[in-house]
Formats: sequence, C-alpha cells, structure tokens
Amino acid sequence: MGSAASAAAPPPPPPAQPQMAAPSYGLGLAGILPSKPEGDDKKEVEKVDYLNLPCPVPFEEIQREALMSLKPELFEGLRFDFTKGLNQKFSLSHSVFMGSLEVPSQSSETIKVPTAHYEFGANFLDPKLILVGRVMTDGRLNARVKCDLTDDLTLKINAQLTHEPHYSQGMFNFDYKGTDYRAQFQIGNNAFYGANYMQSVTPNLSMGTEIFWLGHQRKSGIGFASRYNTDKMVGTLQVASTGIVALSYVQKVSEKVSLASDFMYNHMSKDVTSSFGYDYMLRQCRLRGKIDSNGVVAAYLEERLNMGVNFLLSAELDHSKKNYKFGFGMTIGE
Amino acid sequence: MASTAAEKGKAPADTEETAPAIAARLAAEWTTWAMKNAKVVAHYGFIPLVILVGMNSEPKPRLAQLLSPI
Repeated sequence: MGSAASAAAPPPPPPAQPQMAAPSYGLGLAGILPSKPEGDDKKEVEKVDYLNLPCPVPFEEIQREALMSLKPELFEGLRFDFTKGLNQKFSLSHSVFMGSLEVPSQSSETIKVPTAHYEFGANFLDPKLILVGRVMTDGRLNARVKCDLTDDLTLKINAQLTHEPHYSQGMFNFDYKGTDYRAQFQIGNNAFYGANYMQSVTPNLSMGTEIFWLGHQRKSGIGFASRYNTDKMVGTLQVASTGIVALSYVQKVSEKVSLASDFMYNHMSKDVTSSFGYDYMLRQCRLRGKIDSNGVVAAYLEERLNMGVNFLLSAELDHSKKNYKFGFGMTIGE
Repeated sequence: MASTAAEKGKAPADTEETAPAIAARLAAEWTTWAMKNAKVVAHYGFIPLVILVGMNSEPKPRLAQLLSPI
C-alpha cells in the first residue's frame, strides 16, 4: 500500500581498489626490505573485516532492483503530470488521469472502472524532513512523512485518508540504522504491529527476518529474507509463513542494460508465477519490458523529449483473459 | 412491597462502577475521540501544513508563484 518508495538507482559499485605503487626505494634498500605484493589483489581473496560490514538495504527494499525492472507503473488511458518547483525543496504537482482502473475481482473476469480524476500535490523535500501530500477531487488524501529524529532513528508515516468511514489506512514506521544492521518497528491501523530486522553477514550477503500481528483478525506471521549482491548481480530469497516463497535475480549486463527474473509461489492458493524482463536505460529513453508465465506481455517506455519533458507509453497484453491495456501520457517537470 | 424494595436495593449496586473501571472507560472514550479528531485534522490540515512549511523555507517563494501556472 502507499506509493512506491523513492526509486533510487541501484547502489553504485564500491570505489575501485587503488593500484599499489611500486616502492620507490633505492636499489640497495629494495634488496634488503621484503618485496611488497605488486598490483591489485583481484586474484587473491581480500581479507574480510567482519567487524566493519556495510549497512544492509532496508527489509522492504531487498527486491528493489527487481521491482524497478519488472513492475513499472502500467496504466490504461491518458496520464498528464505537471510538477512546478517553487524552490529547491518545495514543489507543487498537478496530475490528471482519464482512463480505466482495474478492480480486483474474485472471478476470472477483470472488472474495469472508467475514472477521471485530478490530483493536487505538494512536496517538501529536505534531507531531514520529507513531506509529500496528494489530494484528489473526491477528497482522498495520500500523505507521506519521513522525519530524521536523530542520526540513526527515522520516523516514517504513510496514510491514505478518505471521507468514507472505516476506509482510511495509516502506518507508522520507526527505523533504526546501526553500523551493520537495520531494525524497524511498524504500527498500523486495524491494530497491525510489525517488526523486522536485517543484518549484514558478509560484505555481499545480508539476511533478515520479520514478524507481524494483525489485531482485528488475530493473525500473525513470520518471514525470512536474504539478499546476495555483487556489483553485477542481485539475488534475493523471501519465505513467509503466509505460504509465500519469492525469489528474484537481477543481472546488470552493462551500464545501460539489466535483465531481471522473478519467481513467486503461493502455497495457500497453489499459484506459481514467474516473470522475466529487461530494462534498457539509454540516454534519451528508458524501456522496460517483461513476459510472464501467465502469458502476459508488458512494456513501458519513458522518452525524454526535452529537458524536463517526458513522454510515456504503456502496454499490457493478456491474450488468455482478453485484457488489453494501452496508455499514453506526458510528464512535465522533474 | 418487600420484593420491589429488594429490587430497588439491588439495581443501584449493579449500575455502580468501580473507580478503575470508570477510569478505563473514560480513557477508551477519550482516545477514540482523540483519534477521530486527529484524523479529521490530518485530512484537512496536511496539505496546508506542507504548503506552509514550503513557503517558509529558504529562499522564500512568492505568493504569486504559488498560484500561477508557470
């Protein structure tokens, strides 16, 4: 729930190991002193300092690269977004959408509801405080707050408020970032409590766990996750007691191209889905495409026409359910 | 007569609440009232709060910039 987290680019590769310079001793000294190993130690395994591991990615973002490549925001209809910056930190946004939204239905038939809405938004982005609010013409408010209480502790609030009673949702998250671990505690409406913890085990591998408890339905769950990443690839595994097993793998083939694949198994509904996609990040455009084991083919193109003007094309074809979605749009401003 | 007097004697004892029970009931009522009003305040006041914080950040934008479409 809630809007997608800030789509940060995959973490930059760690700085290259500086080449060790040849010792500039005189010839006499070189004979006496032990010779230092020359060149970089790529062939030798570097000694891992287990007390100095990097901070892991937050638990909800372990599949970040796979989600960015495989799940673009596909839409059907017309979309127009205009963002006006008033200063470095503060901007207003106006967004128009005219098209069909899919309503999740129990039967195999898809239900599409034609809608049109205008959304006004205000964003305040500061390193220590982020306030993002979006309000629609029917009164629905989508609010996100991120506040750095101290250097290590962050409070995040995510809320969708409506005028209809009992339809509003809210979630408070307290994040603590340690030297090589992250912990998060969540409180949500309907008496939802959750906690998760992520620990770096080696410089490339991090593992974590989460538990949650739903008060009103008396349901609880526990899950485990692990993420292995190098400069070129990211692999994740997630298992939950709700019966979901999810794996993903992203390979960065070059600076501009990355390939991703994803596998999900739901034990309760005996549902297996696998998808494979590509992500081309070129200078003037970004093209993402994917194909699914359900026979769904989708593509999403963002073309940069000019500075700050982007043209969007979105397509999703599902031949078995006869559901074809095509959308186009324009984004002006950042 | 005696039965009605006995009934009257019993009825006030059932409706009396102990002090901790009264405190718990009032606390639950006030937190519900507070959450309902906090939701209304957040719903109407969040966007104005963001605009207020934004208009007071440096460099201060002008009101005309807020309202005009360019």
